[in-house]
Amino acid sequence: MTAPEQPTTTLAARVLARIARDRIVPRPRWEFIFKNYFFWTLGALAVALGAFAFSAALFEVENAGWRLAVATHPDFLTFLLSAAPFLWALALALFVLIGYANIRRTNRGYRYPLALIAFGAVITSVALGSALYAFGLGGELEEAVGDHPPFYRPILVAERSWWLAPERGLLGGSVVSVAPGISSFTLRDFAGGVWRVDGSDLSAPDLTVVARGGIVRVVGVPAAATSSVFHACFVFPWEIRGAQPEPVPSPLAAISSTSERSAPAARSEECKGIRPYQQLRTLEEAGL
Amino acid sequence: MRMPPELTDEEIARRALSDKEAFALLIERYEAKLARYLERLGVGVREDREDILQNAFIKAYMNLNSFDPALAFSSWMYRIAHNEAMSFFRAKRARPQVILDGEGDALITELADEGADPAALAESRLSQGELAKALAAVPSAYRDVLALRFFEGRSYSEISDILEVPVGTVSTLLYRAKRVLRARFPDSFSL
Repeated sequence: MTAPEQPTTTLAARVLARIARDRIVPRPRWEFIFKNYFFWTLGALAVALGAFAFSAALFEVENAGWRLAVATHPDFLTFLLSAAPFLWALALALFVLIGYANIRRTNRGYRYPLALIAFGAVITSVALGSALYAFGLGGELEEAVGDHPPFYRPILVAERSWWLAPERGLLGGSVVSVAPGISSFTLRDFAGGVWRVDGSDLSAPDLTVVARGGIVRVVGVPAAATSSVFHACFVFPWEIRGAQPEPVPSPLAAISSTSERSAPAARSEECKGIRPYQQLRTLEEAGL
Repeated sequence: MRMPPELTDEEIARRALSDKEAFALLIERYEAKLARYLERLGVGVREDREDILQNAFIKAYMNLNSFDPALAFSSWMYRIAHNEAMSFFRAKRARPQVILDGEGDALITELADEGADPAALAESRLSQGELAKALAAVPSAYRDVLALRFFEGRSYSEISDILEVPVGTVSTLLYRAKRVLRARFPDSFSL
């Protein structure tokens, strides 16, 4: 049985007595240094992840095909809902918040206002994210995330599906071969289907795109619901921005700069009847 | 071991790491100040204040190595005492009982308009009891900044270090706290 504690008079004496009785010692300095660096590291890591999120968001925005939305979607709101980088914007916001929460827990983190830390974290994420995008990592990340989240579809996958709708006059794929004079060309769509595309209604800018080869987007009219013949009215290039550079394919044909078919009036009534005809003409003239 | 009385708090804190007797000097320097501060925060019972102080000093001793010399030791010590008081209110679910011992004048002057007539102000002067009651009723965030600013005479930067909020937040809290307090005495102050 221990003797009852002697009543002590001053607070200092009571505190020292308790320190002695409970054998209390100051916690080592390294614990606090480690804790401080730990939170700084987590904060910096969150900002770095925010940068990755931003690079993916930028890739998505750059490759969403905004200018051709008039052809792919019934209205702009529908397009926005399917193309805006909600996942990445959410991820960026989340990482910025996590970064703030961790920096706030460092030794002097409380001195920085939320707005300053959030602004700093966003600016850092945007600057780093832009650099990552320029190095092609935004696209890599988008592809890597792929179909993992059940509600998410990478923008290139989504866009390929928009251009795999010949019944709506939208066809995308690789130009495989070109007939003499580009009267027609063969296109392999994103699902592997092979199409013979009639190019008789195409103007000079379209022909240039076809002659260059590679992946193209064709707006036109299917010959019949079940046939694999497609009547092209416009052809637009498909360039993936912010991706690792790929080897440029050899041109499939050479075209004359003074093509007779450059006059838009030469297009058939069939083409003039497609829904966003005027807007597509404007885009073509602007050199999309 | 006797400590030279001219040593600063920060120097004593450093010595206390190897000599716990040195820590007693820090306790003696801060005991009365912190007890008064706790009273102003609303810890009305003396025994509760003593318990909080004892716990605060034990925590300070255990965490001496986390003391950041960029801060004033007093800010660090007030922070620990403040956090202990908040834990006490949470654990006991106790209502604050603010006791003012003839020290509300600075606050009353601050609450008055800049152009207020001092004579009229003196005539309609609130009793310390009324002010204490009003302070006990305002949200704790407001009470904290008011107590530190007007009863403890702390600067904005020190309050920022004690409450662990940015300096801008201290100004905002003070502005709002004064507005809320004025609203409780519409006959004495214009809003």
